[in-house]
Amino acid sequence: MRFGVLQAVSQASIEVHAGRVTGLIGPNGAGKTTCFNVITGLQEPTSGKVLLEGVDITGKSPSKRARLGIARTFQKLEVFGSLSARENIMVAAEQRKSWDKSGFDPRKVTDEILEKVGIADVSEFMVGTLPTGTARLVELARALATNPRLLLLDEASSGLTEEETEEMAALLRRLVADDGLGILLVEHDMSFVMGICEYIYVLDFGRVIATGTPAEVQANPTVQAAYLGTDATEEAS
Amino acid sequence: MRLKFSPRLIPAVVVALIVAFVVHSNWGSASVTGQTIATFLVVGIALGGVYAISAAGLVVTYATTGIFNFAQAAIGCFLAFCYWQLTVQWGLPTLVAIAITLLVIAPAIGIALDRVIMRRLRDAALVVQLMVTVGLMLTFMGITLTIWSPKSPRSVPHFFEDTKGVQIGDVIATWHRIITVAIALLVAVALRFLLYRTRLGISMRAVVDSRSLAGLTGAKSSVISGASWSLGCMTAGLAGILIAPETGLVVENLALVIVVAAAAAAIAQLKSLPMVFVGGLIIGLSEGFSSVYLNFGTDWNYAPQAIPCVILFIALLFLPQARLETGKVRLTKRTERLTKPWEAALGGGVMIVLVGAWANGWIPWFSGTTFGERSAVWLGRGVGFLIFGLIMLSLVPLIGWAGQVSFANFAIAGIGAVLFSHFGGQNGSPVGILIVMLVCAPLGLLIALPALRLKGLYLALATLAFAEFTDKVIVRHPNMIDPSATGVLFKPLDIFGVHISSDAADRKAFVIFLIVTFAILFFMLELMRRSRWARRWIAMSDSPAASATIGINLTTTKMAVFMLSGAMAGFAGCMLGLSQGALRVDSFPMFVGLPLVLLLAVQGVRYPVAAFMGLLGLASFPALSEVMGNPSWLTQVSLIGPGIAAVAMAYRPEGAVFYSGRDLAGLLPWRADAREEKALLDQRTRDQDIGRDEINDLGISRAFTREKVAQLDRVLSISDAVDEHPMVVSTGVTK
Repeated sequence: MRFGVLQAVSQASIEVHAGRVTGLIGPNGAGKTTCFNVITGLQEPTSGKVLLEGVDITGKSPSKRARLGIARTFQKLEVFGSLSARENIMVAAEQRKSWDKSGFDPRKVTDEILEKVGIADVSEFMVGTLPTGTARLVELARALATNPRLLLLDEASSGLTEEETEEMAALLRRLVADDGLGILLVEHDMSFVMGICEYIYVLDFGRVIATGTPAEVQANPTVQAAYLGTDATEEAS
Repeated sequence: MRLKFSPRLIPAVVVALIVAFVVHSNWGSASVTGQTIATFLVVGIALGGVYAISAAGLVVTYATTGIFNFAQAAIGCFLAFCYWQLTVQWGLPTLVAIAITLLVIAPAIGIALDRVIMRRLRDAALVVQLMVTVGLMLTFMGITLTIWSPKSPRSVPHFFEDTKGVQIGDVIATWHRIITVAIALLVAVALRFLLYRTRLGISMRAVVDSRSLAGLTGAKSSVISGASWSLGCMTAGLAGILIAPETGLVVENLALVIVVAAAAAAIAQLKSLPMVFVGGLIIGLSEGFSSVYLNFGTDWNYAPQAIPCVILFIALLFLPQARLETGKVRLTKRTERLTKPWEAALGGGVMIVLVGAWANGWIPWFSGTTFGERSAVWLGRGVGFLIFGLIMLSLVPLIGWAGQVSFANFAIAGIGAVLFSHFGGQNGSPVGILIVMLVCAPLGLLIALPALRLKGLYLALATLAFAEFTDKVIVRHPNMIDPSATGVLFKPLDIFGVHISSDAADRKAFVIFLIVTFAILFFMLELMRRSRWARRWIAMSDSPAASATIGINLTTTKMAVFMLSGAMAGFAGCMLGLSQGALRVDSFPMFVGLPLVLLLAVQGVRYPVAAFMGLLGLASFPALSEVMGNPSWLTQVSLIGPGIAAVAMAYRPEGAVFYSGRDLAGLLPWRADAREEKALLDQRTRDQDIGRDEINDLGISRAFTREKVAQLDRVLSISDAVDEHPMVVSTGVTK
């Protein structure tokens, strides 16, 4: 199974494979979130295509893409703040009913996911009152409730404590190994990225400047230049 | 070469054909000659200039502060009256009066609004922003009506009224019109200069692009917002003074300019100043054209007044689709627990018992009432309040849950009343109510259709325009309400043998019937809040982008809530018709619908019970008035009441029901959870406070103030230079 993406931030071709975590890193403004928006249909690319298992889904609405198995979280929280954590997940599970006719019970699915993500104890709280880290988990849980094949996580670990970050990493590994999800991850926490991703794309100014395994990427001089900023020293002088 | 085919071409052609048809079929007796063309141009350009001035202020304020000021024209109206007072009444020279009005009073209003209210609204929900300015609009109208009683007619003279004007061909352009056009051009040039050539203007434009970045460059947001509100008030006043001689110094007429200004602003997509002037001209010329060439006949007598509404609708059709934005989610620290079904049933029961007891006269009611009997006058008022309560209830799912701000429900109810007089009402058939509800449901949808794909503000504008259109065109057609018909149009409604009508003898039954249906609808809404429909609506309102990415089809989801709300408003409309007995063409003015939305919003638009509190609020004024022996100051208080409500909303955006509910829930014996949750939440908020630990470590016990920041800086031995960038400090830390 393969998700292919050709993305027109300027030139970036990104492939996400099922059953593994792919990382997308790059300095601020590199186009990572734009890339996510294009894949989920919140933004239309001026050129280029989004392919899901070889099928062109460019131009399809975000809700159609959700039906086809794409789910995401957001860099800046997009939770339903005036619903409880349970309702946040339930609304996604109920929505899934409209295309998934496997006869599941949304309530049961919601309970399972609450357990899986580890937020069952705050399920009755309104999400607006939850700390950011917990709210991020609610967002992840909501994405999972649509039963996606491709999961896009935008800065999943920001706002999480160290402990929570480890739990998150373990959860993502389980999702990939057990459920065969393809995960695309945008992340600033490098140890998190390097620890969990099998393959990494490095984006800068809308271009993929490096690809490879974590070790390859870390050794890449172009990447180091982009992150440390070669011309920053020039400007200062 | 490939021919480029725009998807907007088809609606453009359709609209053009419809306009051509309307023009053709209503062509008057005037023939197209040089003279008529010149007349229509002179009238149209002058009108367009005034509209553009008002709309330009609207756009500048909106672009720099993010708040669409519904009070714009009402402020202009107030200032026009000030100008009248200064010139006509006190005899000041015209220029002095204009200077005082526009350079002293207008900026003072602008700065006061900014200081007291608007700054608090920057990050408020759209509902709150809109409701506050609507409240202000009603207030400025109220204040004007209070100071300058409408009983004595006034008029503002044209500039150089006694002179003849300038001869252009066969047409005389009055000096007033020439001056108007000149001023409009001047305003356009001045605004352009201000925004592109002055430091203040450049900062204002920077704020449009990015508020936080503008802050970093040292632009003072307080100065900028103060300036743009002042500018908004000045243009409003200028437009008011210029147009008052044409429309007459009448509050409603002047306040209605808001619809025109909104249409021009919509053409400009609320951002482009040159397009504002184009938009103003389009509307002005259309009105000029219609006044010279078209004759709508007696049936559509008022149609010309609806031209701005129609243009607004057309403009909405051609606006580009709004992008689903992310990063705009506001998280409020609001705990609430869903009402349990039995609690909702209990609440509905309490409502029925309370109102039922009141209707039977078991609750003593002030002076002159005997126990066991309620006067027919008061029962009649009770019917009215309950119907308004039903309309407010219809807004709860629409505005409160789905976040779709609509001003149209009173108009829909009006149409419902008219429809009921044709279908079923005239022979007392309850089936008629069903028919009306079935018609009103898609009607609610139809109004929303052009705005569904746009951002929420445009929906509010579209519904405002529809409310005006209903008042001016729909209900005025003799086939809708026959102005010559006399007497009661409705037969009493027969509910299980009990008669319900506007008749004095049937009023008690009417009240009971209404409170029972109100309580049932209340109960159903509370149940619905626990259903997947309400969840979906709230999700869509909280984050449209996230809703779309979990598979929610935003368009159909919105359509559903509009249909529900429309049907409920239709029901209220049937009752409205029944209670009025005879329908009059002027029964459904747009300005009546607005306070209802405001009242609900003040009580808490998310909560069905707010509709009940709202109707009690409505009842409180006449009740107080009776107790105190009809003091005249109370009428004045009720006129500025919306302003008090507006301020209250700015400070308490969730509504009274929420704040009192939070405190009262803990008092209920079975709500131990409310007590616990409150304690927990308090703890949580304390824990979460940003930098709390650091502050404690430094021995500073309270939250950051500017002085404290300075103190912190000293402790951390950061130089005094920090003072030069106060914006960075305040946006970064105090929030």
